[in-house]
Amino acid sequence: MNRIFKKGPDFYCDLLIIGTGGAGLRCATEVLEKRPETSVMALTKVSHPQKSHTSTAQGGLAVVDPRDPVDKNIFHMFDTWKGSDCTADQNIIKKIIESSWEQILWLENRGMHFSRDIEGKLSKRTFGGHTLNFGESLAYRAVFEADRTGKGIMDTTWGEALKRGIRFLTQSIATELLFTGNQCVGSVVFKQKEGEFIRILSKATIIATGGCGQVFKVTTNCRQNTGDGLALALQAGLPVMDPEAVQFHPTGIVGPGILASEALRSEGGVLRNKDLKPFMERYAPKMKDLAPRDLVSRAIETEIRQGRGVLNPDHGIYHVWIDLRHLSEYVLDMKLGEISHFFNKFVNINPKEELCPVCPSNHYHMGGIPTTEFGEVQNGSQDTVPGLFAIGECAAASFHGFNRLAANSILELITMGKFAGERVLEYLKEAPAETSKAEGEHTLSLFSGYLEAQGRDSLGRIREAMQTMMTGKAGVFRTEAGLLEAVEGLKELKDRAAKTALSTRGLIMNQELVRRWELDNLLTVSMVIACAALNRRESRGAHYREDFPERKNEYNYHTLTTMEESGRIEFGKRPVDMSILEAGGGHAQKFGMIKREY
Amino acid sequence: MAKTYSITLKIHRYNPEEDRSWIQDYHMEAGRILRFVDLFHKINDEQDSTLAWNSSCEHGQCGTCSVIVNGKPLLACELLVENAVHRFRTTTFIIEPLDVAPVIRDLMVDMEKAYEKVNQVKPYIIEPAPLPVERDVYPITPNELELYVNATRCINCFCCASACISSHKSFLGPNAMLAAIVRVMDPREQEKEERFKVLYSDQGVYRCHSTQACTFVCPKEIDVAHFIALAKEGAIKL
Repeated sequence: MNRIFKKGPDFYCDLLIIGTGGAGLRCATEVLEKRPETSVMALTKVSHPQKSHTSTAQGGLAVVDPRDPVDKNIFHMFDTWKGSDCTADQNIIKKIIESSWEQILWLENRGMHFSRDIEGKLSKRTFGGHTLNFGESLAYRAVFEADRTGKGIMDTTWGEALKRGIRFLTQSIATELLFTGNQCVGSVVFKQKEGEFIRILSKATIIATGGCGQVFKVTTNCRQNTGDGLALALQAGLPVMDPEAVQFHPTGIVGPGILASEALRSEGGVLRNKDLKPFMERYAPKMKDLAPRDLVSRAIETEIRQGRGVLNPDHGIYHVWIDLRHLSEYVLDMKLGEISHFFNKFVNINPKEELCPVCPSNHYHMGGIPTTEFGEVQNGSQDTVPGLFAIGECAAASFHGFNRLAANSILELITMGKFAGERVLEYLKEAPAETSKAEGEHTLSLFSGYLEAQGRDSLGRIREAMQTMMTGKAGVFRTEAGLLEAVEGLKELKDRAAKTALSTRGLIMNQELVRRWELDNLLTVSMVIACAALNRRESRGAHYREDFPERKNEYNYHTLTTMEESGRIEFGKRPVDMSILEAGGGHAQKFGMIKREY
Repeated sequence: MAKTYSITLKIHRYNPEEDRSWIQDYHMEAGRILRFVDLFHKINDEQDSTLAWNSSCEHGQCGTCSVIVNGKPLLACELLVENAVHRFRTTTFIIEPLDVAPVIRDLMVDMEKAYEKVNQVKPYIIEPAPLPVERDVYPITPNELELYVNATRCINCFCCASACISSHKSFLGPNAMLAAIVRVMDPREQEKEERFKVLYSDQGVYRCHSTQACTFVCPKEIDVAHFIALAKEGAIKL
C-alpha cells in the first residue's frame, strides 16, 4: 500500500522546531546565541517564515518599564489574572511579566523598529483591561511598532535566526511525532515541494504551530491556522488543555474577518441592527457600545439570531452595522485612518458616507498543549514528556486562562520562546541519542487513505459545513442541546471526509492533499472544543453557556482532553496555580477568585 | 437581487509531474466585493479542486498571495471583483504566477529561491552599535526614524521585483535593496562598509533604470524608487 510514496533520507539535528512564527524563532535564536554549534531545523507550512501569522499582529506588546513612575509589574499581573477570569496560572503570570522588559530590550537591541517619543524612548499606548493601581485608571502599557508590531517581531526573529545559521524547511508539514519509549525523538515530515516524506530525528522537538481559527466561519486568523499542532499532540495520545476557551472579537469586518478595532467605538462609532436602530443600550445600559468584548459579541449575535441582522450577499454572512458617518473628518482620517482604510480596501465602503458591516470574528485560542513554565509538554498525568516542548498560541502554560487581554499574546510568544530555549539548552547537555525504529506507519496509512478514498463529496463543502456548525453551536453562545448536535454533526462530517476522492494525483505541491489533512486536523480540534464546552457546565471568560450563565467554583480547574480515537474523549483536570495568592504579602488578596467586572 | 459580475479567469497552470503548461478558463458569477483569493477558494470548492495557489493572512500583511493579473503584479487578497472590473475595463482576467522564481505547480512559485536575493543583503543587524551610557534602548528620535521607517514596511511580496524592468538575473531586486538601505540608515547598525559593497556591487542599485515601476505596484504604497534613488546619490548615510 505504501509503495505510492517517495521517501527521502533521514535528517538529524539537535533541535527541530515545527512552526516559524514569533515563538518558534525566538526560541531558535535563544539556543543559537547561547550555543552556536547547535544544529537547528525549523519547519513551516507556509512559503517563508515571514509569512507566519505573527506578522499580522497590529496593536502592541504589554510591558512595564522598570523606571515607569506610575506603572508596576504587579498591576499588569493583576489585570492579566482578572482578565483570565481567574483561570490563568499565577506562576506563569509572574514569570512572564517579570521578564517582559528584558525581552522588549532584546528585540529593540536587535533592530526592531519600535515607535518612539520625542526623546527617542519607546512610545506607549493604552489597551482595554490594562489599568493602574488594580483597576483605578487606564494604563499606558503597550509598546508598539506603528500598526505592525507582529511584523516587527517576525522580521527581527527571522533575521537573527538566519544570521546564526538556522536551517529552514519551507512548505513542509509535520505529520506524526516519533518516540523512543516516552522520549520524543523527532517527527515525520511531508516536504511539499519535493512531494516526499522524510523522518527528522532530533534530540529536542518544539511544537509552535499557532492557532486553529479556521475552525470557525469568520476569523481574524490566517488561512494556515488549522490547529495542526493540537492534532499532532492528540494523535500522539497527549492532552489539549482548555480547548473550550476560544476568544471572539465583536467587530470583524465581514468577509476577510479583519479586526475593526475597539477604537471605532471609543471614538463614537455606534452599532445598529437591520432596522438601523442602536441596540447596545438594551444589553449594557451604562457602557452601551463600549461594554467588554464578550458582552458586545453576545449582543450582536443575539440581534442576528432574533432576525435583526443583515445578510451580506457576496460572502453569505449575517452581520450588523457600525455607523461612523457622524464622526468628524479629523477622527476618521487621522485617528482611525488605518481602519477606515480597511473598509475601503476590503469591502469597498467609504465609512464617511456608508454603514460598515461587522460581525463577531474568531480571534484567539487560549487553550492549547499543556506545558510547564518552561514550555515542557505534559502528558495526561502531568508528567513532562522528555524532548518535547510547545510554545505560542498552540500551547497553554497558561498565561491567558479563559480570556486573553489585548497586547498579551505577542508578549507571551517572545517570553515563552526564550524560556523554552533556555530549557532546551539544559536538556541538550544530557539528551540521549536521537534514534527511532518507528517508520511513520501512521502517516503512511493516513495519506494512503486520503489518496485511495473514493466518493464524490467535496472538501470545501465539508469544511464550510463544519465552520457553520462550530460558529452556530460552539461559538459565542453555547448550550447543551447545541453542543450535542455539534458533536453528532462532527462525526458525520468525519465520515463524509473519509468518502471524498482527491483529484490531484501527483504528490509535488499537492494542495488538495494538504487541505484534506488540514480538514482532519480541524475536525479533530473542533471535536475537543465541542466536547470540552459540553463538559464545562458554567460560564467562564470567553466560554459562555446560555444554560449556565454564571461562573462556578466547582469548575476552578483547567480541562485536560485526550482523544484516543475519533470522538472518544477523556477528561482530566489540572489545578490552577495560585502561588501569588498563597505567597501572601501586600497585594495577595487581589489574586483570589475575584469577579471579572469592569 | 444583489449585483454580480460574470467573469472569466484565464489561469496559467503547470503540472510538475508531466512538465506540462496550459491556460485554463474558469467562468463564474462573482459578487462585487469578493476578492480574488475568494474566487480561488470558490474554484477549489466548486469547480476544480486541483488548482494550486498560495496565500496566508489574506489581508495584505504577509505578501504570500502575489500573482500577475492582466500583466500587473499584485496581492490577490486586495483585489476586489468590482475594482478589478473598473480598473482593467474588462471581465476577463489573465492570471499568472510571479516571474521571480521557478514555478512549482500552477500559481505557486518557489519563494525560498526568491528570498535568496534578500538573504544575500543580510536582512538583520550585522554589528550592533553599543548603547550610550545609562540607556537600555538606543535613542532614535521620531524625526530620525521618519527618514527610513517607510522602507521597513516592506513585506517581501516580490511584486516590485516582478515589475522591475531590470534583469532578474543581474539585479538583486528592489525589495532586497530596501532591506539593505534600512540597515544603512538605522543608527543601530555599525557595519556600513559591507552593506555599501553589496548596494554598489554589480548586482546593486546601479542596475536600477529609474522607471519607478516598483513604486507604482507596491501594495504597501512604499516609494521604493525614492529609497533606491537616495542610495544611488549616496544620500543614505545619516
